[in-house]
Amino acid sequence: MSGVPRLLRLSVLAAALLTAGCAGWVRDNSTQLPKPWQRITADALPVTLPESQQFPVLAARMRSTGTVYKSYIAVLGNPTVLEGENRLTVDVQTLPDSLFGALVQPARVFPVPLYTMETLTKALNREFPEMEVKVADGGRRNRYGDYDYAVAQDEANTCVFAWQLITDHARMLPERIEAVRLEYRVCGASRNPRVLLQPFDGLMLTLPEGVLDAGDMGVL
Amino acid sequence: MMRLAVPLLGALMVVPLVAAPVALAQSGPGGRALAPGVKVEVAPAPGSGTAPQPGTVDETALRYYARIGDVERLEAEIARLRALDPSWDPPKDLFAPQPVTSGVDESPFWTLVSAGKFAEARAAIAEQRRKTPSWQPSAKLLQELDLAEGSGRLRSASDTKRWQDVVDAAAAQPEAVACNRLDNAWRLAEAYAELKQTDRAFDTYKTVVSQCPSAKERRDTIFKASRYLSPAQLRELTALGATANPAPGEDYASVRAAEAELETGRLLERAGNAKGNLSATELAQVETTVRERRDADSAISLGWYFQSRKQYALAQSWFSEANGWTPSDRAAEGLILAYNGLGKKAEAREAGAPWRGTSSRVDQALKAVDPPRGSSGGARPGPQGPSELDRTLARRDFAGCLVAVQSAIAKGGKTAALVQQRGWCLLELKRPSEAEAAFVEAQALAAREPAPKTPAQNPSAAARAARDAATAGAITPPTATRAQENAYGQTVARMAAGDTVGVNRDLPRLNITAAQKAEIRASLLATEANRALEDMRYRDALRLLDARKELETEPRNLSILRGWALYNLFRFDEAYKVFKGVDDRLSTEESREGVLTTWKTIYHDW
Repeated sequence: MSGVPRLLRLSVLAAALLTAGCAGWVRDNSTQLPKPWQRITADALPVTLPESQQFPVLAARMRSTGTVYKSYIAVLGNPTVLEGENRLTVDVQTLPDSLFGALVQPARVFPVPLYTMETLTKALNREFPEMEVKVADGGRRNRYGDYDYAVAQDEANTCVFAWQLITDHARMLPERIEAVRLEYRVCGASRNPRVLLQPFDGLMLTLPEGVLDAGDMGVL
Repeated sequence: MMRLAVPLLGALMVVPLVAAPVALAQSGPGGRALAPGVKVEVAPAPGSGTAPQPGTVDETALRYYARIGDVERLEAEIARLRALDPSWDPPKDLFAPQPVTSGVDESPFWTLVSAGKFAEARAAIAEQRRKTPSWQPSAKLLQELDLAEGSGRLRSASDTKRWQDVVDAAAAQPEAVACNRLDNAWRLAEAYAELKQTDRAFDTYKTVVSQCPSAKERRDTIFKASRYLSPAQLRELTALGATANPAPGEDYASVRAAEAELETGRLLERAGNAKGNLSATELAQVETTVRERRDADSAISLGWYFQSRKQYALAQSWFSEANGWTPSDRAAEGLILAYNGLGKKAEAREAGAPWRGTSSRVDQALKAVDPPRGSSGGARPGPQGPSELDRTLARRDFAGCLVAVQSAIAKGGKTAALVQQRGWCLLELKRPSEAEAAFVEAQALAAREPAPKTPAQNPSAAARAARDAATAGAITPPTATRAQENAYGQTVARMAAGDTVGVNRDLPRLNITAAQKAEIRASLLATEANRALEDMRYRDALRLLDARKELETEPRNLSILRGWALYNLFRFDEAYKVFKGVDDRLSTEESREGVLTTWKTIYHDW
């Protein structure tokens, strides 16, 4: 006789406990969204660039997305009068450090593959409007392996746009880092794109866990 | 012969609007071809032909437009039905709920057609017919669907510059090229012109200006045609538009004036050229047209024409006219320099007072009146009109601005004003980090330069500043000091670089005017509201938008954001009201999407 009311009482109590926090519940999705950009000093960037009078680091900023991604932008000098900032972008994807982190991950900060011909065309049109753009047939190689690039030119200026994805765990990346994406956009007065690519060729990643170079610099 | 609904180009192209399509699908008297396969039938004069029997007017579309509140299309449909049957009056119960007579409510199909979802509309009609075999969609619905599809093909071909396809689409669906679809007629004419079939383009434009009754539309057509037709053809077009088939209540004087306006435009373009001199007759013609139209932009052009020839009195009178018709900092800039040329410095300062501190071009012009001490290292030459820097700014050529600033620095040395200008131009070129550095440098330079005249040294400006401050209850004067301008520039640059957190933190301590602070705060709130919506914190989004609204009027993009926040909080009626309000003022894809989505949600019409 008393079993049923007791069960009922327990059910009501359980329901009350389960719903008690509803009024104060907030959807926990904001932790997975990109945080606003924050200014940092050039020293705090996880990358060093070769000294350059044409393209000094003018400003730096960073933001995180969830606990997995950290993005950095180094704004570089721009000796031209063209629209848009010269910059190097570094996105670092780390591995989640908990089971929950592995289950709930933010949306990718960069797609893989980095570009399709369609998205690359859009990006290049956005970066270099009204300039003649050509995607280089063959890639180039820097400290961290092969990268691709495009060259945009008008009568007075030349611009380069380079992109690279580092995923080699055998030698270059420490265990905790899943991938590093680099993107470099620079416009300058030199007609020779190789001159504009020199900072990208000579950059060095300074992530705390120790990223190694590709190991064949001697043959470059 | 049956009378056509509206004197339409397509109607001229033989198409029936209501029943008896076949009867009209032939060339009647006056018919002529616009394009291969496209027959043109000239609309008969009012009163000729047979009107439809009373009560036979198809009011389906009319009632649909009334129900969804699309006033523009409703009025067009009323005009069309009246032209079809002058004895017809709009039903008095237009806005009353209507019983579904045929057993099938056509509204969902009309909604799909309105939304441009033609394939879905066809599928929905087919599905309805499967469910209700006895039901037939109304002729009007099917016709609207055909028309909408034809128009869509024509516009799509035109948007992608497939000119022959535009002509083919018009030939396949001649009703799509009509007075009530004037844009399609313009696109067809453009296609002919691009295909180098200028005669056909000319014919199309002629048909529009002689058959479409609206004077404004005829006038707009002449302006459109001016890109492709010779002056002689434009003259013929104007004469035709001003006299052919006049409709009661329309004033075609504006059509007649179009030719003169085009000629004025050509002359002003010539006048804008440094070496372009106008004859006395040409000048008189331009001046008359500009005065008749009270065209402030053209008056400013005339002002610069005289200013560059050092005819300062004439320049001053045109800049004054422009400023009187439409006050602007561009007109004020010219007025300052013209007064200065006449040696009337007090009037020059007075002319610049309303824009001082808020317009860089006016501030720049005022420097010609009161040159900064030592800035040019001696006697300053008389006013020369706009400098190279002014001209680049007037053209919104910001790359040119950087070059002009660099050249000015090379000539006369670095000044705070020049470096500050460089900062604004870098901002326009989406280079905020460099812009911020420029404002910092300008700040440092300004600290070393002698202080400019403050409003206190200028009695009229000081009086105005005090009055404004009293009115606004502001503590700081509304006119920004040089230091405030630089601090403001730095803040705008930081915002553009995404440093909203830092700006939010520093805002209370920033040395900027109260108005500038409010503007930055409003911008921060808008950014935060956007973030809140992305985070699905809809109540927060509304809270932030409400706070922002206390500072500034809400722009339409934020109203749309407000609509979606309300929608996601299931406050559909309020969301609909917000979307509808925005859409009624200016209908865009975003506003239409909001209206349609909330409407469908409210009426479960998915």
